[in-house]
Amino acid sequence: METKYSVIGKPTGNVDGMAKTTGEGKYTFDMYLPNMLYGKHVRSPYPHAKIISIDASEALKLPGVKAVITGKDVPGGKWGLWRRFRELCDQIALADDKVRFIGEPVAAVAATTKDIAAKAVELVKVEYEILPGVFDPLEAIKDDAPLIHEDFENNINATRHIEWGNVDEGFKQADYVREDKFTLFPQAVVSMEVHNSLASYDKGTGKLTIWSSTQSPYYLQLGLADALKMREGDIRVIKPHVGGGYGGKNSTMPDATTAALLSMKTGRPVKVVFNREEEFTTTEHRMGLHLAIKIGLKKDGTILARECKIITDGGAYTGLGATALYLAGIFQTFPYKIPNWRYDAFRTYTNKVWATSVRGFGAVPTVYAAEVQLDRAAKEMGIDPLAIRRKNLMEPGYEAPGQYKVESCGIVPCVDKMAERIKEKWPKLEKDEGIGYAGFAYMSGGIFNWIDTPYAYSGARVQVNIDGSVDLFTQAADIGQGHNTVAVMICAEELGIGIEDIRLHPGDTATAPVDLGAWGSRETLMNGNAIKMAAGQVKQKLVDLARAKLGENIAYDLVCREKRIYLELRPERGYSYYEMVEAAIKLNDGEPLIGTGHYTPHNKGMISPAYGMGIMAMKAKVDRETGLVEAKDVLIVHDCGQVINPLGARGQVEGSVHMGLGYALTEEMPNDNGLVLNPSINDYKIIRQRDMPQIELLDVPTYDPSGPFGAKEAAEATISPTAPALANAVFDACGAEFDSNCLKPERVLKAIREAEKNQKNKAKAKK
Amino acid sequence: MKNITNSFEYFSPKTLEEALKLVSQFDKEGKDFKVVAGGQSINLVMKQGVIAPEAVISIKGLSDMDYVKFDEKAGLKIGALATHRAIERSSVVEKKFGVLAEMEHNLSSVETRNWGTVAGNICHGDPGGDVAPVLIVLNANVKMAGVKGERTVPAEDFTLDFYETALAHDELVTEIQIPTVPPNTGVAYTKFSQVVGDFALASVAVAITLDSKKDICSDVRIGLGSVAATPLRAKKAEEILRGKKITDDLLAKAAQAAMDESDPTDSVDASGEYKRELVGVFVKRVGKEALERAKKA
Ligand SMILES: Cc1cc2nc3c(=O)[nH]c(=O)nc-3n(C[C@H](O)[C@H](O)[C@H](O)COP(=O)(O)OP(=O)(O)OC[C@H]3O[C@@H](n4cnc5c(N)ncnc54)[C@H](O)[C@@H]3O)c2cc1C
Repeated sequence: METKYSVIGKPTGNVDGMAKTTGEGKYTFDMYLPNMLYGKHVRSPYPHAKIISIDASEALKLPGVKAVITGKDVPGGKWGLWRRFRELCDQIALADDKVRFIGEPVAAVAATTKDIAAKAVELVKVEYEILPGVFDPLEAIKDDAPLIHEDFENNINATRHIEWGNVDEGFKQADYVREDKFTLFPQAVVSMEVHNSLASYDKGTGKLTIWSSTQSPYYLQLGLADALKMREGDIRVIKPHVGGGYGGKNSTMPDATTAALLSMKTGRPVKVVFNREEEFTTTEHRMGLHLAIKIGLKKDGTILARECKIITDGGAYTGLGATALYLAGIFQTFPYKIPNWRYDAFRTYTNKVWATSVRGFGAVPTVYAAEVQLDRAAKEMGIDPLAIRRKNLMEPGYEAPGQYKVESCGIVPCVDKMAERIKEKWPKLEKDEGIGYAGFAYMSGGIFNWIDTPYAYSGARVQVNIDGSVDLFTQAADIGQGHNTVAVMICAEELGIGIEDIRLHPGDTATAPVDLGAWGSRETLMNGNAIKMAAGQVKQKLVDLARAKLGENIAYDLVCREKRIYLELRPERGYSYYEMVEAAIKLNDGEPLIGTGHYTPHNKGMISPAYGMGIMAMKAKVDRETGLVEAKDVLIVHDCGQVINPLGARGQVEGSVHMGLGYALTEEMPNDNGLVLNPSINDYKIIRQRDMPQIELLDVPTYDPSGPFGAKEAAEATISPTAPALANAVFDACGAEFDSNCLKPERVLKAIREAEKNQKNKAKAKK
Repeated sequence: MKNITNSFEYFSPKTLEEALKLVSQFDKEGKDFKVVAGGQSINLVMKQGVIAPEAVISIKGLSDMDYVKFDEKAGLKIGALATHRAIERSSVVEKKFGVLAEMEHNLSSVETRNWGTVAGNICHGDPGGDVAPVLIVLNANVKMAGVKGERTVPAEDFTLDFYETALAHDELVTEIQIPTVPPNTGVAYTKFSQVVGDFALASVAVAITLDSKKDICSDVRIGLGSVAATPLRAKKAEEILRGKKITDDLLAKAAQAAMDESDPTDSVDASGEYKRELVGVFVKRVGKEALERAKKA
């Protein structure tokens, strides 16, 4: 396809690809500093207990141990991401009065080797008074349940009520109403790189530098400032390459606070690296929840009303769980027009490690329920599952009162293209195969400002040097999703140069303007806009100079493309980019050309400036004797606006389907009174390459006015439909119904037998 | 992953003799030692802190024992250091013992197969291992050596209990011997796991030998994995089939018998009851596959 762009829209290899695949690229995990100590946590064996005393004397006697710290050594207070609501800032560096989950850190040691640190941990004696614990949200809200945080009655951490239209009236007018209940299991994050930080405190200047595996250098800077009682600016956060975050690395975690505290105490660099068991048992995950959902439809399949209630298993702290609670409701309504909608949500504290934003940010469990219920309704009403979806789709300009407005919206053409392609792709199914559908949409960054930043949501600075090379500075975080590539592509496109002309300086709070980090699929749109603006300022200088040299009037447009600046309608009239840069710098008293850019959404509703969306179809096969479900083939028709890097977008879609399939089929975290029963990669089952289905991805490009070059989200939307599409495919194949995710074969076999029994009973009743 | 935290003495003998001497000496001294081959199982239990030996003897350097040999008379000989990957990629294995290559192809990942040895797999004594059920139906023998001499036990008698084998503390496995597959024989193996290459929830191996008219089952062996404290030979199920013409009905009866013989326990993944059902399903399916193969053999 001929496009007006020379960089964006072309499949482009990851700019970090060579460094990462050869092992040259450095992650925090790979870093060592001279004189470095190793920190390790003493963790609670109890889910809920008072700390009576901590005796570190034996540990301190062990040669090589340089420091032991406890809650008493923490100078700052509590922290959290909901900084606008201080009561929700409930995280602490080291528990000082009581512990709230198994594995909560109560002390930490610093030693010269990892082995000594591990031995020292065993020598720290902690005396506890065990308190009764609570492990299920429905138990947690009972009046006689133990209180996990004093100030939160009935252990209710956050609530949400959202409503539009007239829901009761909608149900009254409906020809068909059904209610379903679901319990959705939590999902672990399992980033390839574990949480780890390396802190170095300079006692002379009182300044701290920390390298950390984080999704947001800025959030970490704020969290540390609260925990350490330091000025933000005295903390420099550097984010090297990061091996995955998925939502689990937004919160400031004890790897960072402890490394910092121990470094401040010892005056030596300290590294804290979690092991895989610590990852599973003490870091954040996707929330589990109980859910009730009711839908009302007209005979023809038009949705009139929906009501959804959830109560989530929040765990011991807040993280981004309160936001997930909100988005769980909002994204359940997409990509459909639901004229009357009511949502009531409760997040409870329980004595488990806590739940937060995880890829799909709240949407995954609630979209599952909604899409599965829609298929049950369609079947009973005798309507084709794709047709019932087609009937209710949003259109450009659609507004949910008081909540969001959808500008670019390609969902109708997406579904039409799907209907066409399905016929060619899967003309015939084999025995015990089925097809399931699910619609999806997701934000391109959030508008909410719980972090309470006075800064723009994203910033960038471009510096063009005498030889035309460009230094691009931004805190925007590439955590494996490929934003570094997107960032330089956007910068290159705007300046009309190649990505090889740009050196990116990402993720360093001391050198680059603030960006809120990689969550909510925000970097392409928000940081992309900031970069485009910064590059645009420099471009303007070059264009102005070229125009003056050409002696052209303002009415004639100049463009920067392929390293030239020329009259758009007379391409032969212009100058080379390099020539103009050199001239501009000389004219500028020798100062390099600097452009600064920033972006904050305005007047875009409560949620996001733009929404990526589409529809997924999944073909699955069921083994009726074992219950094994095989995800065979996936078809996705996708509107993510102008695609910046098709390779990157495809990678994000595949990654979403991968994590979504784990949620659908294999991943769960069984828990026995606060104890995670499968805290290893061996026992926690992740879908592997050989289990992955083929994925066909078709694009329906749109242009979103809010996005850089019209781009919007591509990183998370496709996780939410994966599990319901799979469950719907199984439903299609054999009629088995599920009230949870994680369709393990034993569960499926039970559901198949139930379905067979019901079918027989129905047949009997007919006779 | 946790790190191995205990320190230990490390020995890397270059010959079998040297290795056997060390093993026997440490055994006499009462030293807490462990032999390591590919380390794919032992490193895991050391990382978990389940064992913390004072000394580790790596036999990886005994390169003489890294072989896969075949001749019609003696059958297949797998040296103690032959890796899973070597079996999977051996052309003679593929031709003559296809079931072994099939089994290996779904045993974990290429990385593990490149490191792990077949001998180490059975020495580990994990009832969930893939190798043992297949060796059992192939009528394999395990050759062991100590300073005092050599002995051989049938594969089906090699595992005694959870992680316990017939191997004495001062012995090493030197070779696995598999006789040439008799004519008119079909062998098949399937493990059931939700994720490809994962440890089995249940696994079934079946070898069926038909008479010269390819009608009556003259011999049959059924091996089960993951459904008892040891890999299991389902002898009662075999009895039902031996000497008969195998039909679907008869296979169903054998499947029921195998279910009764198995004794699976609950795990995080699945209940014991479900695993028992799997035994039934797969004795039927794998039995059928073995029968088809026997007919074509
Ligand atoms: C991620 C992962 C997945 C796995 N998945 C599977 C699977 O799906 N199916 C499966 O069957 N296995 C699986 N395994 C286990 C693995 O295949 C075997 O256990 C492994 O091949 C053992 O061989 P090794 O050479 O590594 O033995 P080691 O770990 O070195 O040793 C294992 C035990 O055997 C002893 N030993 C080794 N060689 C000898 C010898 N010659 N004489 C006496 N004693 C000896 C050791 O002392 C030790 O007790 C998996 C392993 C990993 C790490």
